[in-house]
Amino acid sequence: MLADIVRWSRKKSPWILHLNSGGCNACDIEIIAALTPRFDLERFGVLLESTPRHADIIIASGPVTRQMKDRFLRIYEQVPSPKFVLAVGACALAGCVYRGAYNVLGGIDQIVPVDMYVPGCPARPDAIIDGVVKLLAKV
Amino acid sequence: MENLKSKLQGRILELTNPDKRRIFLRVAPVELLNTVRLLHDEYGFWFVSTISGLDAGDDFEILYHFAGKETVLNLRVSVPKTDPRIDSITPVIPGAILYERELQDMFGVVVDGIPDPRPLLLSDDWPAGQHPLRKDWTFNRPPEVIPGAKS
Repeated sequence: MLADIVRWSRKKSPWILHLNSGGCNACDIEIIAALTPRFDLERFGVLLESTPRHADIIIASGPVTRQMKDRFLRIYEQVPSPKFVLAVGACALAGCVYRGAYNVLGGIDQIVPVDMYVPGCPARPDAIIDGVVKLLAKV
Repeated sequence: MENLKSKLQGRILELTNPDKRRIFLRVAPVELLNTVRLLHDEYGFWFVSTISGLDAGDDFEILYHFAGKETVLNLRVSVPKTDPRIDSITPVIPGAILYERELQDMFGVVVDGIPDPRPLLLSDDWPAGQHPLRKDWTFNRPPEVIPGAKS
């Protein structure tokens, strides 16, 4: 009974954490655009949180740099379980133009498990909304 | 230009003026700090746009790009690759420390007299003695694991 309520509330109002681990900022602008009234990701109850301890979903953009790896893992461990990772943009998928550079480890899935991938360079806000909704179906 | 030539008598290895408002100047590494001080004090070259490095085979060429009021001056210094040491120019231009730290990171040139020799751009867990912009440096990329890939 209680578990059902928790699951229902998690599905109806997921709180997200936006995390850039070394990208060019284009995907971040698109993520913010997806949250604005024009595209309105918030109609699905999504709320942008500023701390990982309140978040359910990490929206990660950008490749993982060598410097960022430990910090990313620390943030990931602070998110309460069950946690979901949504990788947004080509860099978060595989590294894109940064792939193979000496300071880049690759996509987000090189260090943490990723539940949903949103391709695009940068990803369209529509695509981000699509990714979030599909991820909510998995919750 | 002529004034500069007479002032720097004996120190100049090469001084050319390839275009309007461009000066290329080459000095020996030991004369670097004095030359920079002279340029700074008497010619108004107090702004270092950047310091760039070049791996030219047997030695590193270090280029100090000065932006003056009317002229852009490139000061070039060559240091041997076997013993890359250069004097810091921070006593004259304190802001150059960021470029000098980057120079230490990327080329492994030891900057003598730098107030703060910590790495600037490379990550915290970067192994010592690895300098990415050297031509003889090769990057051994760690293998990537693709989750859910067909093996």
